Amino acid sequence: MDLNFTPEEQAFRLQIRQWVAESLPKDISHKVLNALRLSRDDMQRWAKILGSKGWLGYHWPAQFGGPGWSAVQRHLFEEECALAGSPRIVPFGPVMVAPVIMAFGTPEQHKRFLPGIASGEVWWSQGYSEPGSGSDLASLKTRAERQGNKYIVNGQKTWTTLGQYGEWIFCLVRTSTEGKPQTGISFLLIDMKSKGVTVRPIVMLDGEHEVNEVFFDNVEVPAENLIGEENKGWTYAKFLLAHERTGIADVNRAKRELERLKRIARAEGVLDDARFRDQIALLEVDIVALEMLVLRVLSAEKSGKQTLDIAGLLKIKGSEIQQRYTELMMLAAGPFAQPYVREAMEAGWQGDYYARFGICAPLAGIYFNYRKTTIYGGSNEVQRNIVAQTVLGS
Amino acid sequence: MDFNFSDDQLSLRDMVARWVDKGFAFERRHRIAKAGGRTRDVYHELAELGLTGLAVPEAHGGMGFGPVEAMVVMEELGRGLVNAPFAAGALVAPALLAAAPAAVQSAWLPRIASGEALTVLALHERAARYRWHQVSTAAAKAGNGYTLSGHKSVVSAADEADAFIVPARLSGIADDVRGIGLFVVEANATGVTTQGYPTQDGARAGELKLTNAPATLITEDGHALLEQGIDVGIAALCAEGVGVMEQYVKLTVEYMNTRKQFGTTLATFQALRHRIADVKMQLELGRSMSYYASLKLAQDPAQRRRALSQAKVQLGQSMRFVGQQCTQLHGGIGVTDEYAGSHYFKRLTMLEMAFGDTMHHLGEVSSRMQDTAGVFA
Repeated sequence: MDLNFTPEEQAFRLQIRQWVAESLPKDISHKVLNALRLSRDDMQRWAKILGSKGWLGYHWPAQFGGPGWSAVQRHLFEEECALAGSPRIVPFGPVMVAPVIMAFGTPEQHKRFLPGIASGEVWWSQGYSEPGSGSDLASLKTRAERQGNKYIVNGQKTWTTLGQYGEWIFCLVRTSTEGKPQTGISFLLIDMKSKGVTVRPIVMLDGEHEVNEVFFDNVEVPAENLIGEENKGWTYAKFLLAHERTGIADVNRAKRELERLKRIARAEGVLDDARFRDQIALLEVDIVALEMLVLRVLSAEKSGKQTLDIAGLLKIKGSEIQQRYTELMMLAAGPFAQPYVREAMEAGWQGDYYARFGICAPLAGIYFNYRKTTIYGGSNEVQRNIVAQTVLGS
Repeated sequence: MDFNFSDDQLSLRDMVARWVDKGFAFERRHRIAKAGGRTRDVYHELAELGLTGLAVPEAHGGMGFGPVEAMVVMEELGRGLVNAPFAAGALVAPALLAAAPAAVQSAWLPRIASGEALTVLALHERAARYRWHQVSTAAAKAGNGYTLSGHKSVVSAADEADAFIVPARLSGIADDVRGIGLFVVEANATGVTTQGYPTQDGARAGELKLTNAPATLITEDGHALLEQGIDVGIAALCAEGVGVMEQYVKLTVEYMNTRKQFGTTLATFQALRHRIADVKMQLELGRSMSYYASLKLAQDPAQRRRALSQAKVQLGQSMRFVGQQCTQLHGGIGVTDEYAGSHYFKRLTMLEMAFGDTMHHLGEVSSRMQDTAGVFA
């Protein structure tokens, strides 16, 4: 047992830290560290910087052009990026669809899709949820009908995060209605410029346009865009979920945001109020405990022993912590979190607006926005079902 | 960064687990508790396994093991709900004596290692609550030695112990952090009286009254050492709490999978499934922070203090939640004396109040808060 990273791991961390310090544009980190709105360009600029270093696919194996890092190295990379104020990597391409293409795609599909993902050139979106299929994803109805060497896709996806920027979308589509719902699903890659694809914004409770509906009206998709075998898509989707392990806890970002919470509380004069301070202290204990949980999972992965049965807990606790820090930030701002100034929000709370409202203005909006964290990615109630299954063995 | 146990640590765990399974069945524990919680013979059995020498340096006849070995043993003792004062006698006392003059170490540590001398910290004073620096027991110089006068409360195994480690005031006013000496007082010395009683969780404690009782000095400036010894105790009880929780969760899972109501097992009801998922969460957060506590014991005092209070806050919350919810999940049987589960619940409840409760340690975390946070902050 040893809490400390090895000297090699620590040297690795310093190397990452130095590179991020040199490479992360200051205007971007300023926005991230102050929770201001990021533009498409901000996100893609950082993706391309990472891409040119070969680190956008930072968890890719070496054979696909990734750095071939260990789980611990990936964790250290994520932590250094988060603490320095890097934008979250938009996961749909490099984190989500790429591993599925690598594992189940053909060599032609590797050649065709992976380079654009690795460089950050091509923006990917995710087409999973549907209006009638949220937690019960396997009930999805978007149909793909095989006609010769193409599929005809009809239906609707929803909650497509940043789909307004999307160039390609990976979709779960129904190719069969026989047997269990899970057995008739296929994994299809669709060019969003195809005729019949319509993206419509959904404005969320904070007034922001972050998610979308995507409609498919007789969209023609070449059959060569099918990943793996027809009707095996559910297996690939589960593989994708299994691929996302410790990152889902987002503990590195939580540490950074806890520091910000303390700054806000100090600026607003509540850091030394015992009642408020104790709430921050409780959150701090939660974050240390979550980080230890993450480190335990990493240690198990590193030693190649059986993975712990605690990975399911990471999403629940991580998302609760995210909600708690946004809540405490808003409460620290108190009445000054109330103004809702649309033009200021559109301007990303920059310039004059930022000067006028200070750090308080965006906090309520972020609190509202973060209610999503216990809902998406498998609601926390679904996560509890999974944990209970593991604990009870029945 | 590695949370795997070494082969030696695993065989140590195995040895303790085997003794618990063979020698400390619930029926025996229940009998002991009913009879007043005297456990000196249990303590002797632990000594025969060599465990009382766990934390004593090899030079004094012990094994010289560190916090991780202590953690492993405490987890297993927790699992077996072992009510002997092992942490007090074999972990906290050696930690406090490590700073004593060589002659005092030689006089006590070998006897502690062999289990011959059960030596416990007499910590609580009625008015001080968890303010360890608030010491009114008085120390006076007497010839080459000292005498102590005062009253310590809820001392672990008071009427079974052979000696006490006693914080007593050499100088300063009642809540001064300076001027607190640590002393060894023998149970059979003149001026020492004890009044024992069973505790809620089937163990034993008592009142210790000192009237000009002769005492041997460990250190004149003992506050920092006392805090260190208490942190050793906190790490030990965190690990014990993990073992207790683990076993109570196991009993609860078995019960949920067998007990039927409305024609089906409890495990099929989603309200109860979500409850057990929340219990699992608290168990694993608790285990994580128990590791953290033991692995932070060797840090400098400021870091160690903050970390151990963070751990105690987590374990306090975990133990209360797991204790209450596992009892609830059992229904009526969970609140009977006959069923083992209720005794796990009672132990978890008492552990929360040992060495400072959750609110006390939250205050510590709060007042020691830094701008940065995290495992390595």
